Amino acid sequence: MSGEPRAQRYWDDVSTGDDLEGFTFTLGWTELAKQVSGSQDFHKVHHDFEFAREGGHETIFYNTGFTRGCLGRLLTDWMGPEGWIKTFGFQMRRMNTPGDVMSVKGRVRGKAEGDDPETGVVNLEIWIENTREGVTTPGTATVLLPRRAQSTS
Amino acid sequence: MTKVEGEYDIEAVRAEWIGRKTPVYHGRYPVEYDPIRRYCHMVEDDNPLFLDPEYAATTKWGGVIVPPVMTDYFAGGGAWPEEDEPALVLQVPTRGDRTINLNISWEFIRPARIGDRLSRQTEIEDVYEKRTRLDPRSIWIAAKTTIFNQDGEVIAIGRNTMVAHRRPEEFAAELEGNGA
Repeated sequence: MSGEPRAQRYWDDVSTGDDLEGFTFTLGWTELAKQVSGSQDFHKVHHDFEFAREGGHETIFYNTGFTRGCLGRLLTDWMGPEGWIKTFGFQMRRMNTPGDVMSVKGRVRGKAEGDDPETGVVNLEIWIENTREGVTTPGTATVLLPRRAQSTS
Repeated sequence: MTKVEGEYDIEAVRAEWIGRKTPVYHGRYPVEYDPIRRYCHMVEDDNPLFLDPEYAATTKWGGVIVPPVMTDYFAGGGAWPEEDEPALVLQVPTRGDRTINLNISWEFIRPARIGDRLSRQTEIEDVYEKRTRLDPRSIWIAAKTTIFNQDGEVIAIGRNTMVAHRRPEEFAAELEGNGA
């Protein structure tokens, strides 16, 4: 069973400074297994402690697919089914590692009308932070949201 | 990773590798439901747009779409059995054989749907040397990957900057020699 449909968000109702709801994970062994299952990234630096330490890391760290998936979920949860991620980028400056409590967050930085009369553009700051290092993964995204009068649902 | 033993000439590597492209590679399998389910499970995403075909059919998309951020998954061969050719970024000569991704960006142009056949082409955009916390002479490799669908339409363009670094013991002598 899947979850409930996400509420549709409309460009008209978004304001600069709005916070995205976000979510939090405690990174344990199950999350370690799920990052490999979901991303199919078997690079040893993400699951072999000795290999990671030999490379100069303190421990293993969660992979790019997991990081990208978290930020993607943040956006699709917030936008609703008619939203579209136009551009999306992030920098992996610090690691998210086993035992960390990691939160995925975002904030509206601005909005514009754009070229399509049926949608509007929203610029977002997105990031991952953990309780050990603060912001580990800063990023930005530009999304398209339907305008209230023209929406088809 | 193509680790160079001995002298490393960054200018020669740049001249040889910047602009180099792969052929267009085709994803091993079509876009399928179950990898999407596993990807969503990874981040506890129970969004029915990605998981419930009946619900997704009622949306403007008319069916399940791939979560945009996992689009490139279906343009690859998967982790096993290994493909014949290593990823292009892993063929670029470097000082060390350890790698991490640092900067990722994507432009998503149109959705991928169940049954689509995706392809990809990667180009090396830049190679340069720059210090990181892991290695004072890390090699940075910037690559662009374009994802196509079965109609030849571009559906996403991704850019990735990967760092190749040495293990600490591999450059310890170098630091001592410099008085660092």
